[in-house]
Amino acid sequence: MNAVDGSEHYEAAVEGPAPSLLVIVLDTNPHAWALLAPTLPLSKAIANILVFINAHLAVNNANQVAVVASHSHRAVWLYPRPPSSSEDVEMIDGISPQLHNANKYRPFALIEDSLLSSLRELISTTTETDISTTTTTQMAGALTLALAYINKATINYSGISTDTKAAPNSADTNEPVTGLQSRILVVSVSGDLAHQYIPIMNTTFAAQRLRIPIDILKLAGDTVFLQQASDATKGIYMQLRSPQGLLQYLMMAFLPDLMSRKHLIAPTQEVVDFRAACFCHRKVVDVGFVCSICLSIFCSPPEGAICLTCSTHLSLGDYGAKPAVVPRKKKKKKKLNGSIDTGSARGTPAPGE
Amino acid sequence: MSVSTLASFEYLERLPGTTFKRLYQQPSTALAIFRRMLPHLAKTFVMALLYMSKPFPLTDLDLWVNSDSKRERDKALQLLSRLHIITVTAPSRTDPQTITLTKNFGESLRQALTGGGEHNSFGVPSNDPVSGGVDLAFLDEYARDQWEGILHYVVNSVGEAMRGGGQGPTDAVKHLLEAGRLVTTGRHSGKGITQAGFSFLLQEVNAQVWTLLLLWIENAEKMELDSVEVLSFLFMLGSLELGRAYSKYTLTDSQRQMLPYLLDFGLVYIPRSSSGYFFPTRLATTLTSDASALRSVAAGFDAASSAAGGAKGFIIIETNYRLYAYTNSPLQIAVLSLFTRFKARFPNMVSGRVTRKSVGNAISHGITSDQIITYLSTHAHPQLAKRAAIQGGPVLPPTVVDQIRLWQIENERMKATPGFLFRDFDNEKDYESCRKYAEEVGVLLWHNDKKGWFFVTRVEQLRDYIKSKKIK
Amino acid sequence: MPRAIRGVLVQCDPSIKSIIVKIDAEEHAFIVEELDDQTLVIKENMMTTLKMKLDEQLKETQNNDESSSDE
Repeated sequence: MNAVDGSEHYEAAVEGPAPSLLVIVLDTNPHAWALLAPTLPLSKAIANILVFINAHLAVNNANQVAVVASHSHRAVWLYPRPPSSSEDVEMIDGISPQLHNANKYRPFALIEDSLLSSLRELISTTTETDISTTTTTQMAGALTLALAYINKATINYSGISTDTKAAPNSADTNEPVTGLQSRILVVSVSGDLAHQYIPIMNTTFAAQRLRIPIDILKLAGDTVFLQQASDATKGIYMQLRSPQGLLQYLMMAFLPDLMSRKHLIAPTQEVVDFRAACFCHRKVVDVGFVCSICLSIFCSPPEGAICLTCSTHLSLGDYGAKPAVVPRKKKKKKKLNGSIDTGSARGTPAPGE
Repeated sequence: MSVSTLASFEYLERLPGTTFKRLYQQPSTALAIFRRMLPHLAKTFVMALLYMSKPFPLTDLDLWVNSDSKRERDKALQLLSRLHIITVTAPSRTDPQTITLTKNFGESLRQALTGGGEHNSFGVPSNDPVSGGVDLAFLDEYARDQWEGILHYVVNSVGEAMRGGGQGPTDAVKHLLEAGRLVTTGRHSGKGITQAGFSFLLQEVNAQVWTLLLLWIENAEKMELDSVEVLSFLFMLGSLELGRAYSKYTLTDSQRQMLPYLLDFGLVYIPRSSSGYFFPTRLATTLTSDASALRSVAAGFDAASSAAGGAKGFIIIETNYRLYAYTNSPLQIAVLSLFTRFKARFPNMVSGRVTRKSVGNAISHGITSDQIITYLSTHAHPQLAKRAAIQGGPVLPPTVVDQIRLWQIENERMKATPGFLFRDFDNEKDYESCRKYAEEVGVLLWHNDKKGWFFVTRVEQLRDYIKSKKIK
Repeated sequence: MPRAIRGVLVQCDPSIKSIIVKIDAEEHAFIVEELDDQTLVIKENMMTTLKMKLDEQLKETQNNDESSSDE
């Protein structure tokens, strides 16, 4: 009797949103956390982050999470734990008593347990020499690990979905091909990372190409390059004025994934520091020299005017004139004009006129 | 008629507020409802509100949400308040409107995220020594057998008395299928499948499970089981881990009473009735999962069936609408015969043709062309897939796919939507503002500015809006 | 004061609409309001009856070509 009525067939098909993978890069720099301890001790921050991870997993059944610690000398996986293959981790350790707790959703308990024990391990294996020899953190390494993991997870995910379909994804089924939506959240406490300028920018550009937003949550310190990383990848950058409210910031600003971010107005940076670090001394420079062949940046003309990266012999032209007012651009040396004072959100610093 | 997975939750929306209050006392329920029933943006709102100490002013929410997404925002808020997850204060002139999570839901969800409490709502793992031989493959196999037994019963009621594998469902399940009008037992015509039964057959497994469970819940009230208890038990099952044994002793009496039924459905496995633990099967643990996770069910079942000797894909369909199915499973043949006219049957293969009449027949039973196409493409023979991969084309012949769609459209001559016609506005300004509001909340279906009439699907919000305008 | 009337909004081709109008002309039991060429509002409880009648009408007009085009 319903043959004439097509209404039922028009009911919108409910397509669940694609699952998202959240890779958290946790800066565990001991120096920085020591400074931060009075306002926000590490243990409390971890507790907040765990709730945040659970919230992320609660949003979608297929959501995944991974946590990398960016420590003083190395970058270490906290979850999933190496070296056994990541998928099997849950099966292996099921001995801890709290895992039998019926008051906690088991996947949450598993992650919490694994994360905490690997973090403890990390801290206990940190020697005094480790701490005394450096004050920074291995952010570039951690970001690289994160990207590698995302790549692997994406391949795995699409592998599974085509496999069960018993056929390579056909173009005629109207199902939109939705892959894993990945993003990186960096919880950063360290300051200057100038010595890692090149690797960080490389990971940033890789993320940009893969459309993986890098969100930065800054609890302390200020890092030029992480600002640039989030700006280039359209991530969120937030510098917390009151680190105590960490959880609320996480839940409100950093939990929405790419899908819901379309509907929301994300907090953005008003001013992005676009300065670069020189390749010779790892100093952050406003104005520097750029090799015309490979675009390497130097704070002062390299020795013998030979580029340190590509060994091109550079002619310096009339070096010595005030860079900012040099009007011509035909010379081998270009002057880089930092756009810090313009306050614009333009993607690249424009060379001076 | 066709019960989509999400539509099955409409049952929940009909529940009274007090029921929700009780439901939300269990963290597992709060988590499951949050995960399963809410649209994406609504989840975002809930999470933002979860740890907020003060009520959140609606105006701030407006600032947060993109102005282009107003409709999504309103939809999300509407659903959230219908499910009693948030409370929105009534508009008044003195205080700005604010939203807060309802107390029970907020507390339970927080508890779900952080753990703690003494609710035991995520299942108590059993400490008893578990008898061996119960692994994932076994559970999948068991669940599949049980479930296919039920499907066989539904299919066989068509009248083609084919002997299926498995022992068939228990009387309780049979009774339930009849009560739910998936099959009928007329005295004269014998057993027969109903329209609802047809669309039931073509649903995804998860949707099928929910359809049956909801039938059961509706009947449970007759069996003097409390529907809240039943629901929270189901949501708990959804949060258990596959392949683990859970203790029976910590269940409440009525929950223990439910176990035999769930055993019939294949949702849980109990080695011996005397043993003090049960295993949830994949059917149970994916109850509250969503579409993407359901692939794992299909994968699990595929694995089980290929272990049982069946192949993954078995259907070949040609551009001339001829269909060959390499199967001898009565279930699959019966499903195919819903939209195919079979001509010949061989020991390992049946052949037939998809015709306008056969498809039209299926469509008149409430099966959609998309369901047919999805069924064909998911069960396409590897040969089809291989050729498609080589030629870079689609798996099914496009002519056939298009034609099946056209056959559906050809008979759909109208679209009917129940709702309310608004007319006779006092002045154009009132009409205009009401129409705009209706459009914003996404209920406007039709409007005629000249006449000053419009048609909406839901009236509640608009009524409040008109009332509040009239106060002013 | 605006009026709200419960009903079912039916959207269809003009041809189908005219058939509905024809059916309604016999006893005026179905249509609440005709909105335009392609839309009308039908009484909610009469929807199934209307569908049945409409189906009958359509079968009469379409039967001929159905049997010839098949097979």
